Amino acid sequence: MTTQLPPGLQLEKLNERIMTLNVGPQHPGSGHMRLIIKVDGDYIVSCDPDPGYVHRGEEKMAEYRNYIQNIPHLERPVIHDSCNVLYPYCLGVEELLGVEVPERAQYLRVIASELNRCVYIQYWLAIYGIFLGHSTMFMWPAGDRELLIDLLEKMTGARVTHAYFVPGGIRNDVPANFEDMCLKRVNYFEKRIKEYAAIFYDNPILISRTSGAGVLSRDDAIRLGTTGSTLRASGVDFDLRKKEPYDVYGELDVHSNVLKEGDSYARSKIPWLDMLESCNIIRQALQKMPKSGSVRVKLKPNPKGGNDEVYKRVESGRGSLGCYIVSRSKPEPYRVKMSVGSFRNLICMPYLLKGEKLGNMPAVYWSLNYWPVEADR
Amino acid sequence: MGTATGIIKALNSGIKHLAVKRFTLRYPEQKLKFVGDGYQFDPTTGVGIAGYKGRHMLFHDKCTGCQLCAIACEGVAEAIGMVKVQEDWKQNKKAIMPQIDYGKCVFCGLCVDACPFYALYMTNDYELSSFTKEALIYTPAQLQVKPFVQQDAEIVFDARGATHG
Repeated sequence: MTTQLPPGLQLEKLNERIMTLNVGPQHPGSGHMRLIIKVDGDYIVSCDPDPGYVHRGEEKMAEYRNYIQNIPHLERPVIHDSCNVLYPYCLGVEELLGVEVPERAQYLRVIASELNRCVYIQYWLAIYGIFLGHSTMFMWPAGDRELLIDLLEKMTGARVTHAYFVPGGIRNDVPANFEDMCLKRVNYFEKRIKEYAAIFYDNPILISRTSGAGVLSRDDAIRLGTTGSTLRASGVDFDLRKKEPYDVYGELDVHSNVLKEGDSYARSKIPWLDMLESCNIIRQALQKMPKSGSVRVKLKPNPKGGNDEVYKRVESGRGSLGCYIVSRSKPEPYRVKMSVGSFRNLICMPYLLKGEKLGNMPAVYWSLNYWPVEADR
Repeated sequence: MGTATGIIKALNSGIKHLAVKRFTLRYPEQKLKFVGDGYQFDPTTGVGIAGYKGRHMLFHDKCTGCQLCAIACEGVAEAIGMVKVQEDWKQNKKAIMPQIDYGKCVFCGLCVDACPFYALYMTNDYELSSFTKEALIYTPAQLQVKPFVQQDAEIVFDARGATHG
């Protein structure tokens, strides 16, 4: 008996071994996304990631707003990492307008973006913990993150979505006793995250679960164009803070963390090492920062760029984040294109999951440092 | 490191936390203290003053009805509308003042940056929930009232860890 199916629908035959499994589009911790997985028993035969469920049209929206009004909505893709998301846009607009940022503002930008990186990675780590069923690793980062969120709140005025960076500097100077407060919290924070080693990273249960799962070789990582922690976990020393220093990163001693294994364990360890490195950078920046001075260049109320285009990129929590701005002598940009790390890391999902067990899927998926909302923009 | 030592170390790390103080903020009883009286902006220097970006405060004696805050909000949240007020101010001939819809506001504070007359500030008040959408629309008369806030909890560090003291 053959039933007539409506066009576009397919039925799977019962006697086929391969079964299609839709993982999603639910909310796996950070935003809606779907993985179309074909399984043979417990093993994944093929995986087809299907992003696009949280597309907000940020790039199109940016064409109808002026350079200042673009700030609040452009940081929405990753609200935990809002300073880093806004960083390339601000650097680009500054170059278009020919603005030189005061030195104190550059140091405060570095501090804010490193704090933001820690906040983002703590959130990512908490979700990685709960993905693997390690509920302690959910509670600890979520609690310790609060230290830095509170600090950023005192600095910028909001817990997340700070809207702190503007073309020409930062919105406001820091409160009076900020340096002591920041140093105290960062030192305590560093002591806390070192404790994660015993319970999570050196835990044999985690190692046996994640090591060897989803191995990405060095050549494949370069060929597929991955970035950030995924690239550095495969043995490529590429950190934009070191390779292409922006603002005052050139004056600071930045060490980029590289591991050679390229498996889920290495990919989950790199962000943790990055947090320790961020603490070092913050301490250096606090020491070298000018104690007083201007933090914002006064711009015209509705600044216009010339007939020009600019591309700037920074190292965000998820890897290189580029912003391409085209200006046509108008208060609004002609085009704003964000090249985000999440989307570039998503491409290796079909390669990594092929031949893996279905149970390893969460461990591999979240170790890619992928943020669906940022990938969809 | 062997498997058994690793597991014992992990358990030991957890057991040590029995002696660590609780970090949780007991929210309705305790409220976090912020710096200053809220985000403010100095138009002469063009730099803001650090503070929490909460509910706005409008100074009726300084507002000129120039609509710059509403224009700044246009592409952001469209939360600010200008409404007629039954007040007679010398500097405000049109007698219009901003009315803010907190159902739309994203608390970016760009309206505060736009005000050249020191008339719009932000306060430490963040508890704006209500049962109706209409109650989230704050009229100029409501924005004039300085909110009562009682926030005193701060993170303190001691030998047994950080707490909200």
